[in-house]
Amino acid sequence: MNRRVFFMSMAGLAGCTRDTRPRLNVYNWSTYVAPGTVPGFEAEFGVRVRYATYESNEEMLAKVLTGNSGWDVVFPTHNRIEPMHAYGLLAPLQHEWLPGLANLDARFRAPVWDAALEWGVPYMWNGTGIVYNRSLQPPPTRWDDLWDPRLKGRMTMLDDPEDMLGACLKKLGLPFSSTDPSDLLRAEREAVVQKPLLRAYLNAEVRDQLVSGDVLAAQLWSTTAQQAIDAASNLAFAYPAEGFPLYCDCAVVLRESRRARLAHQFVDYLLRPKVSAAIVESTKTATANGAARDLLPAAVRDNPALYPPPDVFARGEWPHTLPPAAQRLRDRIWTEIKSA
Amino acid sequence: MKRWLAAYAVAFYAFLHLPLLTLAVFSFNSSRFTVWEHFSLEWYRAIFRDPQIVEGTWNSIIIAVWATALSTVIGTLCAYGLWKRGSRTLTGALYLSLVTPEIVTGVSLLALFQWTFRWFHWQLGLYTVILAHVAFSISFVVIVVSARLRTVSPALEEAAMDLGANEWQAFFYVTLPALLPGILAAALLALTVSFDDYVITSMVAGVDSETLPMVIYAMARRGASPVINAISALITLVFGVLILISERVRAT
Amino acid sequence: MKLRSWFLLPTWVWMAALFTAPFAIVLGYSFLTRGILGGIEAPWTIESYQRLFDPLYLTVLLRSFAMALTSTALCLVFAFPAALFISRAVRYKNLYLQLVMLPFWTSFLVRTYAWIFLLRDTGLINTALQATGLIHSPLPLLYNNGAVLLGLVYGYLPFMVLPIYATLERLDPALVEAAADLGARPITTVFHVIVPLSKPGIVAGSILVFIPCLGAYLTPDLLGGGRTVLVGNLVQNQFTSARDWPFGSAVSILLMALVTVLLWALLRCESEPLA
Repeated sequence: MNRRVFFMSMAGLAGCTRDTRPRLNVYNWSTYVAPGTVPGFEAEFGVRVRYATYESNEEMLAKVLTGNSGWDVVFPTHNRIEPMHAYGLLAPLQHEWLPGLANLDARFRAPVWDAALEWGVPYMWNGTGIVYNRSLQPPPTRWDDLWDPRLKGRMTMLDDPEDMLGACLKKLGLPFSSTDPSDLLRAEREAVVQKPLLRAYLNAEVRDQLVSGDVLAAQLWSTTAQQAIDAASNLAFAYPAEGFPLYCDCAVVLRESRRARLAHQFVDYLLRPKVSAAIVESTKTATANGAARDLLPAAVRDNPALYPPPDVFARGEWPHTLPPAAQRLRDRIWTEIKSA
Repeated sequence: MKRWLAAYAVAFYAFLHLPLLTLAVFSFNSSRFTVWEHFSLEWYRAIFRDPQIVEGTWNSIIIAVWATALSTVIGTLCAYGLWKRGSRTLTGALYLSLVTPEIVTGVSLLALFQWTFRWFHWQLGLYTVILAHVAFSISFVVIVVSARLRTVSPALEEAAMDLGANEWQAFFYVTLPALLPGILAAALLALTVSFDDYVITSMVAGVDSETLPMVIYAMARRGASPVINAISALITLVFGVLILISERVRAT
Repeated sequence: MKLRSWFLLPTWVWMAALFTAPFAIVLGYSFLTRGILGGIEAPWTIESYQRLFDPLYLTVLLRSFAMALTSTALCLVFAFPAALFISRAVRYKNLYLQLVMLPFWTSFLVRTYAWIFLLRDTGLINTALQATGLIHSPLPLLYNNGAVLLGLVYGYLPFMVLPIYATLERLDPALVEAAADLGARPITTVFHVIVPLSKPGIVAGSILVFIPCLGAYLTPDLLGGGRTVLVGNLVQNQFTSARDWPFGSAVSILLMALVTVLLWALLRCESEPLA
């Protein structure tokens, strides 16, 4: 039995290597492309794309940090770009190979984390807010409302230290990326006060429970919230008045890649309005591509969860990369909150 | 007593299979969410349309078979060797490898491979996953086979040797047959552990070596999709049929 | 003598390459400094170990030990009768064994999600209980320690069943008959004859269950709702969101050291089941 498997797998491997088309390895978040996106690129450019997905930045970074991961294009969240660049992991973007940059939405042409767009091309973005059941009157539209005892046992917060502590900080009117220890300790006290009221700390798993009505309010990312709303019309989403984080996932080309030209062509392909619009219609995410957004049907283009109006957007903050000392304090606080 | 045991066994197996049955039932639910809408085979069709799932399954099988074979052989030899002549260091190392949290094993093996690959210009792939699986499976095999070995009397081998057999014959013809159920149990354990492993595999898998647990985890962490239910139901069905067939073969 | 050494050789090679080397790497990591993105950087320091001796982290360790011990004990209680049943089965022995393993060929994560579905407020169990009128409002079955224990026990049952079965299968039926002849009731035979004779299997199974339970993080996270921190979550966090590999390595080394001491003590009293 073993010999047979061995030979079959050898044959399989041999079969793989006989494909002489150039290869591109792309590592992206899950559900960030439409079914036709990658095959379309493969057909047009006559290449083969190895496309795999990950669920968190750390998962991707663990592979990429070694400098020998085999990936060409990855999609880190914006506040990881500066450290990745400091580690020498990124290849500088050649703008002459990226004519599609002109399609970017005005807000993303010179973003705060990379004003000259040297390292990453903004791809998709989202924000964190509150998704709630419409039966709640008055609706919870402020972070403050998630400390309300009437929601006891029926609400959840994200199981993510950055987001969860960030919500506590915003509730107190402090900056989302604060590194001040006294700020963080105050936020910790809020979190400890809130914990007995919570059902659990959940990420995307809470979607199911929102739809079935187990959970009445949850801190959640806008794209996941939209998926829940699509499934149950009695749900709604709000960006809290006190402020909220915005995250942008950007396409970067790794320095280790030996196919930089092809990698740039792929990123440029993603910048095409039609391609980007097709992706968004399939994935229901918010794109940084302004030209694509114009092609979307009005219902999607003006969706308040995915594309908040400018006045709401202005209340958002882009989290910074945290220095190690602050990171350590936050992690310790997170452990203390969970142990409480 | 026999009746109590039988009744307990029924309850035991029901408990073990309850989540499976639930998954299977809801794999036929047309709604994504766990509120029953109507019967549908949609999710089963989705499995075969998704090349990731098919490839992941194939990879998982190759890895599991190789890893089980290697770790069972090495582990059995090790258990036997330790039984005849103990080795504190080896025993200690085996236990330690068991104690290490999975993420630590994963990270350390990844680091090891990366350091080695700097010299050889290799990359992660199926073979690194197989190596990693063998690394953590050996301890399981050794423990299970050793437990069995404790019930085998050394006098049997001595008797065989007195009757003229050499060491190898004594092992092969006397001890090994007595060990067989233990070896099979250990192999079964190793197969399961390898097929189901996620953390270590995800760390050391290469660009082309995605396994089924990795595919499933990715899908599940986005919010449980009924495609996962369908996959689980299919896996259960396939393995269930395999088990029944092997029973038939054994019975003849 | 020579045959035994040959037999051990592959394991030595394997251990040296795939255990000692990685272990040395983790040990090295625990003495280094964290990098901003994760990974490690140059300055050697014992800072990680200094941070470790803090009541917060020691409480986490204690809680984890308690949880793992309880899970192991429960596993033992549930697995033993099942292993006994299988070892006594006249036909279909292998079938029963494989039926124990069958659920575990589906993904661990998926089975855990199935439990969430069963235990939720609007889950199957609560709905069924309410439908039969036994309760009027849903029981909070999920997101507490009970649910975590259930998940852990469920997840590691076969690790307990298989070794115990392997030992029981070898049990001399004559001993059981002798006990019966001497007038013992079946239940007495079980506790005074069978259980002591199956000690190697029990010890092996307990080790195979206790240790993974100690390092478990997915089950407490999902079924416990992320409400508590066990040592598995702590280590996992350090290698992911906290990006503090040296501290994670230090916690792991401490954990491994503690368990080794425990095992050593256990094996001394047990007259060394492995060697």
